[in-house]
Amino acid sequence: MHIKALRCDACGTLDPGPRDLCAACQSPNLSLAEVPGDGTLVSWTTIRRAPTRFKGQAPYVVAVVKLASGLLITGRIEGSPEQLRPDLPVRAISETDSAYTFARCTP
Amino acid sequence: MRQVLIAGIGSTPFGRHGEIAIQSLAIRAADTAIRESGIDRKEVGALYLGNFVSGPLTGQEVLAGLVADGLGLGQIPCTKVEGACASGGIAFRHAYLAVASGMCDVALAVGVEKMTHADTATATAALNCAMDNRSDGISGLTFPGLFGLAWQIHAERYGTNREQVSAVVTKNKANGLLNPLAQMGATVGADQILQSPLICDPLRLYDCCPTSDGAAALLLVAADRRSELATTPISVMASAQTRGSARIAGHPDLCTFEATVMAAKAAYAQAGISAKDVDFVELHDCFSIAEIIDTEDLGIVPRGHGGGYAFEGRTKVGGDIPVNPSGGLLSKGHPVGATGLGQIYESVLQLRGQHPNQVRDAAIGLTHNLGGTGVACTVNILKRTDA
Repeated sequence: MHIKALRCDACGTLDPGPRDLCAACQSPNLSLAEVPGDGTLVSWTTIRRAPTRFKGQAPYVVAVVKLASGLLITGRIEGSPEQLRPDLPVRAISETDSAYTFARCTP
Repeated sequence: MRQVLIAGIGSTPFGRHGEIAIQSLAIRAADTAIRESGIDRKEVGALYLGNFVSGPLTGQEVLAGLVADGLGLGQIPCTKVEGACASGGIAFRHAYLAVASGMCDVALAVGVEKMTHADTATATAALNCAMDNRSDGISGLTFPGLFGLAWQIHAERYGTNREQVSAVVTKNKANGLLNPLAQMGATVGADQILQSPLICDPLRLYDCCPTSDGAAALLLVAADRRSELATTPISVMASAQTRGSARIAGHPDLCTFEATVMAAKAAYAQAGISAKDVDFVELHDCFSIAEIIDTEDLGIVPRGHGGGYAFEGRTKVGGDIPVNPSGGLLSKGHPVGATGLGQIYESVLQLRGQHPNQVRDAAIGLTHNLGGTGVACTVNILKRTDA
């Protein structure tokens, strides 16, 4: 699936958002853009003590993913953390309240 | 800018102060700082109070004015500042600027927090106010989680291992045993750390600082008032503050905090010294791995060697560069708004030669206070005036 991001109408800079002004040129004209949901794993951790809002869900894996478009975003990783490694290819599979969940790409 | 001296210090123990109101904690610490300085309290020209979450956790705001009223100060400007875990350091810098700029001759910096009465859910929700909750919070990430992410990369890139990180915990817990203000000093070995429950991999319970109640205060004066002081003052050589990314995914590299790197550079330049001139450091070890990253960001340890230095005992008192002789946040506790001022309190004791865990011949000390996801940082460099 694709990931919703923002593209600056003035200079074309992409940002994961939300933002009010473009991070590069400060233009207020930002449009919704869909970017491919594939990327690679930068880092991850298993949250075992969750904040109130996510309490019933722990343990769950949170990661920083570098998308093919170069954007860095925080999201969830499906399943257990075994066999996760840096640069592992992942792709977005679902969205809940603007947070994306990624799954390992099967070769 | 004028030269600024620290003339008086005060601190409550960090820990549980269940029955004491938040403003009373602040007043106790500040009253001690004023009294020991020898300066008349009516001469205080400005008050800056560092606090993070008194509203949500105690239902009490306008703390700066309340504390000034309780102390019997004049009708002076009283300002609360907030920068998450760096709130105390920011309050100190503003008091420093008030005196350095000539706006007033005497200024008071106070930091306070009261957290231990709140249940975990309420405290966690309050602390998560320091995150960008439109981008980072939505994935279920937490502050320990951020440092779990950083640890993973540090381990991958530099080979930092569990034993090296545990050496930080063992050292800071042992240092805390010597500090009467510390909440959780202890003798803790590597096995015990390894047996404590996982919080967010690879962080375990012993890798995390406790929540705390407490207050710390410092009285700052212009150098030309030195003859009026009842204490041997400590000189503020530098006070720097910077901003880093407000978002976790906004950090181009999770293994370093740009705000710390920039604040340290600015502070060394202002003081006219380099990292090797520093005799000891009180830094922001909110989590064990943070101490390793901070020592590298501050330039006191070569990049990638933070784990090795800790494991070899080079950051112990008596080592190459003692780090957190007070016990740090891991052992002393982390009453958020008070932490940055507590670090300076400990450093002043070191520079007076009166610390319970004294670094021998300490002449120059550095303090480092980091807020939120690295969004705010202060670095101060302090020096003895009698050597």
